[in-house]
Amino acid sequence: MNELLTSAVAGLTAGGTYALLGVCAVFTYRLVAVVNFTGAAIGTAGTFVLIALYEAGFPLWPSVLAGVVAGTIVGVLVGLVMTTWFSEANASTKAAVTVALLVGMIAIGLRLTGGQHPHVMPDLFPGSAFRLAGVEVTIASALTIGLAVLFTVLADRFLNATRTGLHLRALSERPMAAELLGVRVQLLSVLVWAVTGTFTTFALMIIAPQRSPNFMTLSLLVVPALAAALVGLFRSFWITLAGGIMLGVVEGLASSFDGVSQYRGAIPFVVVVAVLLWSQREARWDDAR
Amino acid sequence: MSSLVVSSLSVSRGGLPIITEASLSAASGEISVILGANGAGKTTLLEGLSGVIPVEGGMIAIDGAEIQSARPGVRARAGLLHVEQGRTVFRQLSTEDNLRVGLHADERLETAYALFPELVQRKAVRAGLLSGGEQQMLVIARALLGRPKVLMIDEMSAGLAPVVVTRLMTAVRKLADKGLAVVLVEQFAALALAIGNRAYVMRRGRVVYDGDCSTLRRAPDELHRLYLGG
Amino acid sequence: MMRASVRASLAIVVTAVVLGGALIGLLSSYWVFLGTAVLITGVALQSLGLVVGRTGMIALCQMSFAGVGAWTVGYLNIVGAPGGLSVWVLLGGLAAVPFGVAIGLPALRLRGINLAIVTLAFATAFDTILATITFPGQTSFQAVPRPELFDSDEGYFVFVLGFYVTIAVALEFVSRSRLGAAWLTVRHSERAAAAHGVSIAAAKLSAFALSAFVAGISGGLLAGYLGTLVSENFSMMQSLSLFAVAVMAGAHYSEGAVIGGLLVTMFPEILRRLGLPQDIGNVLFAVGATQALSTGETMSETFRRLARKLVPSRGPNGKPPQPASLPAPVMHAAGAALSIENLGVRYGSVVALDKVSLAVPAGTVVGLIGPNGAGKSTFIDAVTGFLPLYYGRISLEGKLLEGVQAHRRARLGVRRSWQTNRIAPELTVGQYLRLAADGLSDADIAAVLAWLDCPHPDTPVASVDAGTRRLLDVAGVLASRPAVALLDEPAAGQSYEETLRLGKRIAEIPKLFGSAVLLVEHDMDLVRAACSHIAVLDFGKVIASGPPAQVLAETVVKTAYLGVEAEEAAA
Repeated sequence: MNELLTSAVAGLTAGGTYALLGVCAVFTYRLVAVVNFTGAAIGTAGTFVLIALYEAGFPLWPSVLAGVVAGTIVGVLVGLVMTTWFSEANASTKAAVTVALLVGMIAIGLRLTGGQHPHVMPDLFPGSAFRLAGVEVTIASALTIGLAVLFTVLADRFLNATRTGLHLRALSERPMAAELLGVRVQLLSVLVWAVTGTFTTFALMIIAPQRSPNFMTLSLLVVPALAAALVGLFRSFWITLAGGIMLGVVEGLASSFDGVSQYRGAIPFVVVVAVLLWSQREARWDDAR
Repeated sequence: MSSLVVSSLSVSRGGLPIITEASLSAASGEISVILGANGAGKTTLLEGLSGVIPVEGGMIAIDGAEIQSARPGVRARAGLLHVEQGRTVFRQLSTEDNLRVGLHADERLETAYALFPELVQRKAVRAGLLSGGEQQMLVIARALLGRPKVLMIDEMSAGLAPVVVTRLMTAVRKLADKGLAVVLVEQFAALALAIGNRAYVMRRGRVVYDGDCSTLRRAPDELHRLYLGG
Repeated sequence: MMRASVRASLAIVVTAVVLGGALIGLLSSYWVFLGTAVLITGVALQSLGLVVGRTGMIALCQMSFAGVGAWTVGYLNIVGAPGGLSVWVLLGGLAAVPFGVAIGLPALRLRGINLAIVTLAFATAFDTILATITFPGQTSFQAVPRPELFDSDEGYFVFVLGFYVTIAVALEFVSRSRLGAAWLTVRHSERAAAAHGVSIAAAKLSAFALSAFVAGISGGLLAGYLGTLVSENFSMMQSLSLFAVAVMAGAHYSEGAVIGGLLVTMFPEILRRLGLPQDIGNVLFAVGATQALSTGETMSETFRRLARKLVPSRGPNGKPPQPASLPAPVMHAAGAALSIENLGVRYGSVVALDKVSLAVPAGTVVGLIGPNGAGKSTFIDAVTGFLPLYYGRISLEGKLLEGVQAHRRARLGVRRSWQTNRIAPELTVGQYLRLAADGLSDADIAAVLAWLDCPHPDTPVASVDAGTRRLLDVAGVLASRPAVALLDEPAAGQSYEETLRLGKRIAEIPKLFGSAVLLVEHDMDLVRAACSHIAVLDFGKVIASGPPAQVLAETVVKTAYLGVEAEEAAA
């Protein structure tokens, strides 16, 4: 029993990261209508700036800051591509663009980071935060989950209590009507990309020490992130959050069973199929077409 | 002095010319009514003016400043506000939040509530739940809070009960009397002509009539012919 | 249509024989070996083009399907299955089909993005599974043998070329068939496809299953090419990069798949020779794909456009349409073709239609008019099955349509045209009519087109102006000779003279095609010319009905159109 709990808790760091990435994906989809496949790659770019600086001997926390800034800039660059050339495109085209950008980002990333070459990723938050029923809960897992909750709460507060948030809500519902009222649509869209860039970078920095810090592996964390977003039907932040944590916990549990553990990577697929089958009980006409 | 001057404007949609060489103007304190049968190009004209679709040629000026190649947001901030047809409220936002979206720094919500007191008791209600008439009041009031020099309203009476339409028309006249330039695209020709100053009639993308509202109003046969053909 | 398919197929075969022969005859074994890789990638790209290019869905696990095919071939080799590589390759393709269907099924409805997510998740899952179970023979070093006849590099090139050409020819025929037209229409507008009686689910699923089959074949061919395989050959990154190349090159064109194959194979080769890192290729594919998506033009389409500029086309091929007679009208039962009782539709608190009752008797043209926002388009949507919820009874020739889906209603004989252009521009005029009306002869199609002054069947829809596309929409509805044709503002974009002519034509529809017509129109001259009876909608209610002259003279109608003060104004 305790063993199961240990493996479940071990999945919490991953779960928190999936949750945060998933919430960012929902944020991007709800506000600028893009299903973003580059989410994790943006954070990975920032993380590798941190690794590069750290390996070059710079002190840790300034490097972290530089990494987060770099991730934000990459997010803004992707946002500029999307708003400059694809603001009028349909959801499917936008998603295809982010897939293409993902291919390019991974290629550039692998080149700059030396492919599979091993890197030293400093553990930013080593150690255990507290004990839960006799099981150590690491600071990293508490932090990712905390960050995901914080992002959800902040997003909620920001959207509902500030003027910029109001503009974003208006923009997400009717971009043209908002623009006709003088709202600075393009600027706001880029802001959304910047914010998600910042948060995903931080999430990636926390999970990177647990994974092989390889540009491609980290970029492909977008798969569990989108699975979590799908659990929330790309609408609900809180359900997405729960979905992400659940994914991580299930992965953790799976790793404790021989014969199942090596198939852990298939879990997001199973979740995606289950959610899709459940959510399409009713047929609907695509609004746009 | 005209606030809005449009000359030789041409607009295409999907490669098909919809508006050909249209010229018109709207002056402060006046209502310019644009009439015409369906498919005449009235809505496309407004969309070209506000920048929803790019124009092919011609000039649009607000108080002498040319804006025909600016983004819609820039034109809005320059004082040209477009109330689209179909009552484009932000359905998920409350009435008051809708009003706040385009609120000019020097403007207060009270201006909107003074024009349409009906909205006061509905201010916390989600705009999607308002009646058609209330939604129309909301989109007009919302645009008004952006401190427009020129307010363009597209088909505000479509699908609304006559009593509501009369109410809206009175409010629009009041706005013009306070010094706003109004461009009104309408199907309800008679009422629009009753409150309007200048009338334009469009047919197949061209302005075919340019004159006083009162003149056209005194010629109901002409009007009937333009609408029902024959 | 068959003729066009045969002509295109011949072109493919001749080009393949000439280029393939030249490659083998002139170049060294090394280049032939690379050429084989180009073709195998080309097969994988063809499979992707089917989904991405034709139905417009995003599929990110194509190499996983290829992996299923390759694994199957490896397994059949280990167990010593009979038939040799050519049979195994086909079986490998078949093995991928259930995977394609299983992944496609959950993604059929709702947003099209779902397929992108589910396929990417599958690619990840497949990566993990393949890394664990490994390829049959991978650890025991049992290579997949090539057929004896095609054992050399040149021989295997010919073997693969055979598969490539067969698939290209098959896809050429499928793409010009009704199914191919249905795919393109689904991509452009799902509603329009359903209005032609196309089942959206069946169209998407068939494309996805066929795509998995072809991808499986490419994997099997790769197994024979390399002998032994490792899981990296089919990794998710390969699938993603293949997607970018497919978008960039336009993989749904047979030359596009080869261009893509060349890019994938030759780019690293060139970069290697230049001493540059080979992974720059993916960056270029990403940029190329983004560029293609923003301009909406793939490399194949660019080349075709340039080629047309260089070699001006001779205009539509074939004989000019003869003044053939129209297809015989389909006889429908007398009485009410369409009967609507107490139809009601609400959008939230807004009542769009309120207890509307209306009958369209067989053999007549009934007009439905009314000011903007009166509910006319909502009415058509409700009758044709595009609204999730309505109240009241809609019956076709006495048969209640309650609960019948849109594409089934279309098949039963309720057809509609659209206010907005929903015809897939990639089709030709003839292909569009064949989609709309299955089983018509070329002469019938030419006759229907000529009757409505539409262009020659070989004309690409992309080159037809918006006004004429509306007529084409109407022609499609009529060619299927339905029990009821609902025409939504067919005269928009027509000149005055054209409108009058159209009015006369519409009046003749019941006699010539056997269909009753419900005409929604704003142009009153057209309504007068075409209709024997009209109904006026205002605020979702029928406020007047009867013969056109009488109804249009009624005060209540003038009020609806001109506003509340019409009487005063007229007085």
